[in-house]
Amino acid sequence: MTSSTNSSSRGSDSYGRGLPFLAAAACVVLTAGFGLAVFYAPSDLDQGLIQKIFYLHVPLAIVTLGGFVAGGVFAIGHLRTGDRRWDVRSYVSIHLSLVLGVAVLLTGAIWARASWGIWWEWKEPTLVSFLVVFLLYATYQPLRFSIEDPERQGRYASVFAITAGAFVPLNFMAVRMAEPLIHPRVFAAADSGLEGSMWLTFLVCLTGMALLFVTLWKYEMASKHAAQQLRALRRALAGEESRAESRSAAPSVS
Amino acid sequence: MPAQELSEAGKYLAGAFGVFLVLLLIYIAIMASKLSRMERELGELGELAERRPPRAADDPAAGGERDETAGDEREPVSAPRSSRETVK
Repeated sequence: MTSSTNSSSRGSDSYGRGLPFLAAAACVVLTAGFGLAVFYAPSDLDQGLIQKIFYLHVPLAIVTLGGFVAGGVFAIGHLRTGDRRWDVRSYVSIHLSLVLGVAVLLTGAIWARASWGIWWEWKEPTLVSFLVVFLLYATYQPLRFSIEDPERQGRYASVFAITAGAFVPLNFMAVRMAEPLIHPRVFAAADSGLEGSMWLTFLVCLTGMALLFVTLWKYEMASKHAAQQLRALRRALAGEESRAESRSAAPSVS
Repeated sequence: MPAQELSEAGKYLAGAFGVFLVLLLIYIAIMASKLSRMERELGELGELAERRPPRAADDPAAGGERDETAGDEREPVSAPRSSRETVK
């Protein structure tokens, strides 16, 4: 085993370490947040019960966009150091954010239908801008898959992740400056219109969602490292020719 | 809020939380299938390791006495390169 493989196994240990505690914390905080949303936070005077989707939809959207930006930050680490473990971190962040992004779009559409009577509004900058960001990142995996050489694949994907990651806050600011059509701007002003109990519930839900993201991220990272070590073990036991590596969009650290 | 409106809102609310839960469960199911694949591979590797003939150095019955002059092949696999260079 080489020293690089040793460091890889140490990395795997660190990804798995604390995972049960983190998963339990995410479960408890998220359940508490949703419990507060249903039983503690008052119903909105204007929208009534349906406004409670806010406690799911908004934390999901914030964590999703944060995950995209984190993917860009990890990609900077990859380009600076050339260490492919940064590429894997970036890939997993973006992959998870895409999954949560689907939930943001679906919960948003349900809220729109209940609140405005329509599933989607093409003239609303908030909705369309999120869709644009989501579709932009939806091209990340095909981009990776289209490049066979793992080194080039990682480099190009990192450049993409950094560029798209920088686009996310710019896009967010542009939307805040645009004139809203129907989508509320809850945190646009100092007086957000949220009561103290609503703020508390929102913050608990946001913390729970962030914990869930970190838990799933660590889980997938630990899984990828375990798979990587299995491949290395197979090569050591059965020889290099035992199994041809299939082309994949997912990076590996070998 | 009238009861009918409340039940209508409740349906959408349950739908939104349900969508989130379903997506989470799909993700967990995909990860679980990957985990079971890894478990299967690990079983295959275990069989492979059992079928492997023992190395001469590890099995004195096969006539393999430790040859102190054999060099790098007997070295612990994780030995750093620098230690090999200083032993010359």
